[in-house]
Amino acid sequence: MRTPKPGIEVVQTLCRMCDDHCGINVHLDGGSIVDIDGYAAHPWNKGRICVKGRAAIDMVYAPDRILKPMKKTEKGWQEIDLAQALDEIAGKLRAIMEKDGDRAVGIWKGEAIGFAQQEDLARRFCHALGTPNYFSNDSECYVGRYIGYSLVMGALPVPDYANSDCIVLWGANPPYAHPNMTRAIMEARQKGAKLIVIDPRLSAIARRADYYLPLKPGTDGVLALGIIKLLIENNWYDKDFVEQFSIGFEKLARYTRQLTFEFVADETGISRELLEKVATMIARRAPRVVNYAGNGLEHHENGVNNVRAVACLDGLLGSLDHQGGNLLPEGAGLRNLTLYDEIPLQHLGPIGADKYPVLYDFRQECHTMTAMDTILSGEPYPLRAMIITAANPAMTNPNSRKVVKALEHLDLLVVRDLFMTETAALADYFLPAASFLERSELHEHRIYQIINLTRKILSYPSCQDEYQFWHDLAHRLGAGDYFPWKNETELNRWLLEPTGISLETLKAHPGGYRYGPIRYGKWREKPLATPSQKFEFVSAYLKGKGYPELPEYRSPAYLADRDEKYPYTLITGARKLLYYHSRNRNFPRFRKAVPGPEIEIHPSDAEELGIASGEPVRVTSKIGSLDIPASVVETSEIVPGFFQITHGWKEANVNLITPDAANDPISGFPLLKAIPVRIEKL
Amino acid sequence: MKIVSMDPEKCVGCRNCEYACSFIHSDDFDRKEARIRVSVFPNERVCLPLTCVHCSEPFCMEVCPSGAIEKDDVTGAITIDPNRCVGCKMCILACPFGHIYFNAREQVSQKCDLCSGEPNCVKFCISGALQFIEIEEAYQSNRDQFVTKLKTMLEKKSFEGEAK
Ligand code: SF4
Repeated sequence: MRTPKPGIEVVQTLCRMCDDHCGINVHLDGGSIVDIDGYAAHPWNKGRICVKGRAAIDMVYAPDRILKPMKKTEKGWQEIDLAQALDEIAGKLRAIMEKDGDRAVGIWKGEAIGFAQQEDLARRFCHALGTPNYFSNDSECYVGRYIGYSLVMGALPVPDYANSDCIVLWGANPPYAHPNMTRAIMEARQKGAKLIVIDPRLSAIARRADYYLPLKPGTDGVLALGIIKLLIENNWYDKDFVEQFSIGFEKLARYTRQLTFEFVADETGISRELLEKVATMIARRAPRVVNYAGNGLEHHENGVNNVRAVACLDGLLGSLDHQGGNLLPEGAGLRNLTLYDEIPLQHLGPIGADKYPVLYDFRQECHTMTAMDTILSGEPYPLRAMIITAANPAMTNPNSRKVVKALEHLDLLVVRDLFMTETAALADYFLPAASFLERSELHEHRIYQIINLTRKILSYPSCQDEYQFWHDLAHRLGAGDYFPWKNETELNRWLLEPTGISLETLKAHPGGYRYGPIRYGKWREKPLATPSQKFEFVSAYLKGKGYPELPEYRSPAYLADRDEKYPYTLITGARKLLYYHSRNRNFPRFRKAVPGPEIEIHPSDAEELGIASGEPVRVTSKIGSLDIPASVVETSEIVPGFFQITHGWKEANVNLITPDAANDPISGFPLLKAIPVRIEKL
Repeated sequence: MKIVSMDPEKCVGCRNCEYACSFIHSDDFDRKEARIRVSVFPNERVCLPLTCVHCSEPFCMEVCPSGAIEKDDVTGAITIDPNRCVGCKMCILACPFGHIYFNAREQVSQKCDLCSGEPNCVKFCISGALQFIEIEEAYQSNRDQFVTKLKTMLEKKSFEGEAK
């Protein structure tokens, strides 16, 4: 920490410029933030942060931040008094619900301002109001992995990098997506751990891999099955665990037996020799092996089953809940804010729950892609109003043109955000939100079993925190009983009550308060949270819903069903250092560093197409076309035939050409990382 | 005395250090303003972070005709006083590590100044490749690392034998 200058006050909280939640020092001069750096006593980041974290200053004090509520009128945006805006919004919601039922209202949570309670408050409000229609960014990020792992082991495990001897990253690039994992991985490597990176792109983390496997996108499942086949054939698996604590091993063994190594190599582009080296390395180091699946696995038509295949490795390697493996998380035991037990609303037909029942069963998420069709068609029932808090689906959901059309079609769109995002621009009301530095929430870091209380460091009069907003709206709509707390501090106190930990204790522990010891092998005493209470290589639950019971592999469409009109394959959504989805593009400093969108092209494809770096190209999918400058990368940086565009740029929004109907049948996740396209030089 | 140690075995080439350095010196995220530089060679999978090691007997200080280069009593940092630098570039030629570079806009030589003893590159290094440590500690960790490397090399042999 920088030695504070006289007169500078330093307070600790957690960063929320990305999902890493680093401990930070906020340096204040007369109440204004003058600097942000890493808090040394937080075990997650140990005093280090990324440059995005410091740029929270850019965000809080951005000249284009909107601090006043606004209403769209014929003359454009007009400032409006907050209470007046809430009255009007409540009135319009009431009219819509009276005519078309409570379920005509949807709530949508995003990632820009808060932690877990931001989500749970939105969920609570939905059910307090009487609508099952809770939406979020999670229906295209994270939940695909959550479902895949939960089907197999009843939870999404946390990786114990620090104690690992072998780390296998599947479609994950921690330096840009979860920066602090990088340090943990490098420290493990320093102690002798091996690193294996599986990714069609030579990502930042792949530069340090002992083995880098440049596989074709969407084929992770068959690669994992190939490893499983080798583990079984060579007797390199944990027989005790398999016999006592799992179901379906025989079926999985039979399934992998009929898969040939030739098929695995053809599909993935990874040679049998390399596959054997990797499998041997993993087996030799079991059980201290972390297999970590990133977002790269979710955005495929066979995403969940590919994740399941990777998850199965934990049951074979004995790494499940083993030190240095994948740990089953234990929470602090906070109270639950959601109302799914008190007010179940599944009978009202949550949007998408019929098509993607697993998504609803596991996460009570409605399906955002289906929501767009519902809004436009009124089928199966009208969805007429939406409150979006800190999400920007007009930029981040697939098929943006349809998203914009749908959001414009709503009778009422309310957006809470810090900036006039592409989504906010479509709203009827803009409500300024409190940033993460303007509110106080509880956050668990389950890898360390610690809980933090984030601090409200400053505030603006009309920028409500999440609790206050839902509270005020609920009270206007006759649902106030569900929001009885005076403010978010009282809410935090109530949430904490069953844990026996006080708010004061948390305040005294800015580096996090340890709520319990880290325990290994918990499944020995406590059954897994799966239907059989065992590790499920096969899922009777999935079978019952008409899905394959095994983590079967399906070849991606671009391989199995090649359309000559679209000879290339587009990957989207690779993370870039400074940006968090569609955020931060309005900070001039960031633009200087990473100025704009580009399409990454392999040199051999560039030659074939006659394209040089900087030249514009046209990318066409079945959904539409996009013009974007080329960036010819080095030969090892991407697999030939594959191209990459990062999302979130309004200058060239890649979601204008991503499909919203080629979804994973289990999770409903969109196909964003293997889209058949045509590429032309302009 | 403490120095910034650089470990290419940990560097992923993310450039947080370059931006953090640029931020503290120029209030911007402009790599041209960064004293530290990371060279990334994707095909070879090599990342090389390079910054000043603040030599005990610096050649740059020796050759500077205008006496603009000094050793800071407190931090031990070798610094260039922009008001005294005449822009002759002798120091750039003299530095065996190629660390010093010329800022054409300001017409002066520039180099790392250890941020008055709290180097920002280290605070924002998310991989741990950069450490701000006592020189003695740096030696020791090099020795430990060599042992680990040797161990894994030997281990690999028996292990690959086993695979067959
Ligand atoms: S990694 Fe960077 S942006 Fe993410 S929480 Fe940490 S400091 Fe903030």
